[in-house]
Parts: sequence; structure tokens; C-alpha cells
Amino acid sequence: MKKFLALILALAMIFALAACGQSAAAPAAQEAAPAAQEAAPAEAAKEITINFPCIWVGTDSKAAYFAEMVDSFNKENEGQIKVVIEEQTDYQAYRDKIRTLVTAGEVPDICTMDTAADVELYTASGKFMDFTPYLDGGWRDTFATGTFDSYTYDGVTAVIPFESAIFPIVYNVEILKEAGWETFPANWDEMFEMFDDIKAAGYNAVGQMAGENAWTSMLWYSALVQAIGGKEAFENGLSDPAFVEAADVLKRMYDYTFDGAISAGAGDVNGHWIAQDTALYLNGPWWIGNLYKEDNAKDGVLLADVCDVAANPEWVGGKGQGGLVTKVQSFILAAKQDDPAKEAAVVKFLQYITDPDRMQTWSASAGSMFFVNYEPSEDTTVIAQKFAEIKKDAAFTVLAVDANFGPAYESAFPAAVSALVLGQVDAQGFVDQLQTAIDNAA
Amino acid sequence: MRLTRNDKGPLIAFMAPALIMMLLFFVIPVVYVVVVSFFKWNGITDPEFRGIRNFALLFKDKAFLRSVLNNVIWALVAGFIQVPIAMVMAIILSRKPKGWKFFRTVYFLPQVISGIALAMLWRAIYNANTGLLNGLLTLFGRGDLARDWLGTIETAFPAVLIYWVFYIGYYMVIMMADITTIDESYYEAATIDGATEFQQAIHITIPLIRKTSLATCVTLASVMGLRQFEQVYMLTNGQPANTTSTIVLYMYKKLQEPNYGMASASAAILIIVGIIFIVSLRLLFNGKQETRQVKKRKGGMK
Repeated sequence: MKKFLALILALAMIFALAACGQSAAAPAAQEAAPAAQEAAPAEAAKEITINFPCIWVGTDSKAAYFAEMVDSFNKENEGQIKVVIEEQTDYQAYRDKIRTLVTAGEVPDICTMDTAADVELYTASGKFMDFTPYLDGGWRDTFATGTFDSYTYDGVTAVIPFESAIFPIVYNVEILKEAGWETFPANWDEMFEMFDDIKAAGYNAVGQMAGENAWTSMLWYSALVQAIGGKEAFENGLSDPAFVEAADVLKRMYDYTFDGAISAGAGDVNGHWIAQDTALYLNGPWWIGNLYKEDNAKDGVLLADVCDVAANPEWVGGKGQGGLVTKVQSFILAAKQDDPAKEAAVVKFLQYITDPDRMQTWSASAGSMFFVNYEPSEDTTVIAQKFAEIKKDAAFTVLAVDANFGPAYESAFPAAVSALVLGQVDAQGFVDQLQTAIDNAA
Repeated sequence: MRLTRNDKGPLIAFMAPALIMMLLFFVIPVVYVVVVSFFKWNGITDPEFRGIRNFALLFKDKAFLRSVLNNVIWALVAGFIQVPIAMVMAIILSRKPKGWKFFRTVYFLPQVISGIALAMLWRAIYNANTGLLNGLLTLFGRGDLARDWLGTIETAFPAVLIYWVFYIGYYMVIMMADITTIDESYYEAATIDGATEFQQAIHITIPLIRKTSLATCVTLASVMGLRQFEQVYMLTNGQPANTTSTIVLYMYKKLQEPNYGMASASAAILIIVGIIFIVSLRLLFNGKQETRQVKKRKGGMK
């Protein structure tokens, strides 16, 4: 009898577990049923939902106008197309999410990526839409010449280079004046003289960070390699001596930053810059909008009103005079669609937001730069205009080191910087460490 | 007890759900991880067999070796410092001194706060410019000790580890629950014999919880120590110079590259380290138990 009861209990447990599965599935099925019922009228109305996990939300400088565009697009296409924005505010979390989704075969209808290495790898999955027929239909003409040249793989253009970035030096005129500098240095020797004067005046010359992704140190290092080795250094790769020399200079720059820069993140660098205790700032044009925010004003004076912009100074004896560090800050990609109507809807939305007139407004409001051709707006800020002038005057451009050498380099960079600055490795060791990271990933 | 043929049906039926779950959610993923660890794979293109090259690269990588060392230190600190502190507090609070409920809540409170939030809080405390720690040091005239706690080679890992050691609430509550099951007559007899509270704790409480909740807590804490990620990720991201890296953080960075082969190889190493730890802890606790039983028998023969 006991054995019989035990058997009954065991069976009951199995059925209970199975029922758990069913009970979980049952509501799902119940939910699916009304969804299917709703799908019928929806199908009649042919409303297409486009899912877009997006980073242009929250406090991002592009967020406000982007939200306006999404709203207006949804209103114009009410009952036919609905773009649903899935808000993601953390860049790294966003990258992780998109990479994981693509690897798992769950590509969102629209997404963005921020490195050419990611784009090349993930478009190889064949899960992304080929924009070629739409670009050939006239859309391509709205972009700057040659925009797609480097991003067409095996005849397929599955990516739209969207936001471009340049990295001139923004500086606080008042701090420089206080340190006795009326004009911005013309070369790096003078830069270090100025750094000494700024330090003596009680300010930090630059905002460095080795924490998080070591973003600003990566940008300063890119600028140094560009100034020392020019375009040639980036073509030669890490074996070029400019990378070692630049590492020595980067280490030296840590003498002129705020305390705690080794563990600092972007928030710390931005905080010091906004507090106006740091003289020089290096970041992309998307940050221009923040210079005009009243929240960042000091004693009622906007940060933009005490700022000016300069190109990377010359490295005496260097090969990079007049060069400029750039990056493709974002690429737009879309999932390959089985439904031609949905594919058309996705393209319609992308063409809507990349319309030159909207790009003009978007650029003026956010300070960002885009690959679409548009006339600068009358509302373009003074700082944004200066960014544009520097871009126009650049003798050549190079990609920032992280974009140049890929994710393994990018991932190893913060550790290498902190090791360099803390004396764990010398400049050659710094470069070797990064080369090893690339080799191990190969 | 010898099983008959009739026992086997129910036995299999009882064990089947757990075995199926174990197979689906543990055995298959582990086998998959081990298989992937022998390949070069980015998750998109075809995997390429690499043999043991991923493991060879791992053992040549100082960042990985440092991560393993940090995890071992973390697990040892968890098992042999964090849990003993929790045990002491559990013993004290189990005697129900004045305000014991308040302190029990206070010690347990951090357990209900997300690890990410705590890490953010401590990042602010350790901040070199505006941090509370440097502020207090300056206030008490020891500004010379102020430093970038998370950005200095010597202090970064201890700083990440130390605050976490004092989050003892989880283990404390488990041991308190166990201590309450100890028969009061033991303590009454000890009190009559003139044993102090300290002696009672040493000779009654600890021996009686050692094989149960104490062993469980040491195992749990050590395993938690081995899989540390969010605190380190939020506080230092493994820096400076990888001195605070852990195996899971290393694995995460390899996944970002994306280098699934190396990430899986590091996961396989983590599993091996975990198995070594758990087996060692079992031997430690069971071995001691046997010794104590032998001593007890020997004592009884006198």
C-alpha cells in the first residue's frame, strides 16, 4: 500500500510540475487568443509595429528632437505604422543587448551600433536588411559622398553610417586667461607649458579617466598618435613608434588632471568640466548641447559662453599637422524582414528621420553631426559652427584608436592605461599589452 | 536498506523531475561551455577548432591569473572571515540582548538592497575628491592618508572586498535560525556548571551548528565569492591594471569582444575552481566532524 501511495505521490508531483508548465502556458495562450482576435482588425487596418531599442533617450542630447520625430511619424502614419521605442540609457548595456540579440538571432527591427568592427561582424550573420535597392532609388544622394564606400560588404549595404563625430579640443577661456594664456597653444610643447601654468593657477588642465572605458584618455591618446605619427601611424598599426611616444605623453598628462583620475569615469570628467575646475575637454559634438544647458551654467553664465574650440596642436617634428580624430558614432541597422510591407515601413521611418530638413533641426538642437547632407541651420550654435569649421579645415582625418583596432583593443585599453600611469608597465609595455589583446582575439 | 524491484519505479519517478531539470539547466550548458572552450567562435561565423589554445592563452594572460587569484582570495575571505563574523553576531543576537530585533534588521537590511546600488554608494564613499572616507580622514586630521582608494594598486582590491565582508545579514539569519533549535537545557546545564557565555558559545553553540548551518554558510559564501561580478564591475571594472578583476568579469569582457571560446574556457576554469572549493570544504567540515566524534568517544572511555 505504501509503495502504491508513493507511486501516486510521485505521479502527482510529475503532473503538478507539468501543470506548472501548463499553467504558465495557459495564460500565455489566453493572452495569445485575444492578441490573435485583435490581430484580425489590426490586420484589416494593416498597422505595422516597428520595434526600436534606442539609446537616443533620457538625457541624451538627441533625445528631445528624436522623440518629437517619432511622435510626428506615428501620428502621420496612425493605424498603419507604429514605431515603438524601447528606451536604453546605458551605452554599454545597449551594446551588450544588441550583440546578444543578434547572436541569438533575435534582431530588433531597427537598432544602432557604434563600431565598424561590430557592424562588419554582425552584418555577416545575414540577418540584416540590405538597403541597396532603397539607396539606389535616390536615398543615397542625401548622404555625403562616399558615406557607404567602407561599409558595403560583398555588395550588400546593410548599414547606414549615421552620426559622425570629430574631437577638437574645447577649452575654458576664463581658466586659460587666469593662467596667463590669451591664445590657445600652437604646439604640444606650448601645451605642456600651459598645463604647468594652469596647474599653478589651481586648476586641472585636462580631464583624464582610466575607469569605465577610459573614454577621454582614449581620445587624448588618439589625438597624440595623430599629432605625432599622422595618418601613416594608423596605417602602420601598433608597431609604429608613434604609439609608444604617445603613450609616454599620455602618462605625462595624468600629472595635470584631477585626483582620482585612475578610478574615474565619464561622470567624474564631465563633473569637473561642468564645475569649471578643468580647462580642457575632449569629447564628441553630441556634448555641445550640454554646454548650452542652464543646469550646467555657473553663476548664471552658460558654459558655452566661456568656451572656445581649438584643433589638435602640432607636434613639433611630428607627421600629423592639421589632422583630426574622428569616429562614426552610430550606424543604423535594420532586421531583414519577411514581410515586404514591414520592410517598406522600416525604410519609410528611416528615410523620415534622415530627411535633410529634419537632420538640420536635429543637428542644431543636439549639436551632433550626421552623414546626411544638410545646410547648417540658422539656429546652429556658435560652438557647433566652430566644430564644423575645424572639420572643414582638417588636412586629414583618422579614426580614434578604439574604432581603428576593434573591440579587443577597446576592452583592454583601460587596464593598459592604469598600468601605464601607475608604473606597472612602460610605454612599450602599454603598447605590447594592447597588441597582445588583439593577437589573442585573432 | 535494500531496494526491491518494486521500489525502483517510484524512486525513478521521484527523481526524474529533478534529474531532468539538472540535465537541462546544468549538465547540458556545462557540456556546451566545455565544448565551445575548444573553439574560436564569435557567435556569428562558423566556429574554428582550436584545441587547448584558448586554455594556453588564458594561463599566459596575467589579467586572467590575477582574476583567479582574486576569486580565490574572495572565496576564502567570504568563508573564513565573513561567515565567522556572521556567526559571532548570530550567537550574540540569539541570546536576545536588548535591541536584538533592531540589530537583526540593521544587519539584514543590505541584503534587500541591490548589489549595484550598494556598489554605487561605495563608489561615492571611496571617491578621491568628494568621498566620505577621505572627508572623514581629513576631518580627523589624517588627511595624509586620503587617496584614490579605487585607483591605487595597493588599496583597490581591499577596498572592493572590505565593505562587502560586513554584509553578513544573510548568513547571520540562517545561523540564528539554526541556533534557536538548540535545546535550552544544554545552556542551563552549562550555566549550572559555571560556564560563561563565551564558553557556552565555544563548547555548545558552535559545535552544534558546525555541520549544519555553519558548513552551509561557508559553502554558500565561498561560492558567492567565486562568482563575484557586479560589485567589481560597478566599482572598478577590474581596474587599476586588472588588479581587481574576477573570473566572471574577465569572462564578460571576453564576451564583449566577442570571443566566446576564451569566455567559455574561463567559465570552464571557474567551474573547476568551484568544484575544488566545494570538495575541499566538504572534506574540511566532514573531517573535523569525525575527529570531534572520535575525541568524544575517547573522552567517554575515560
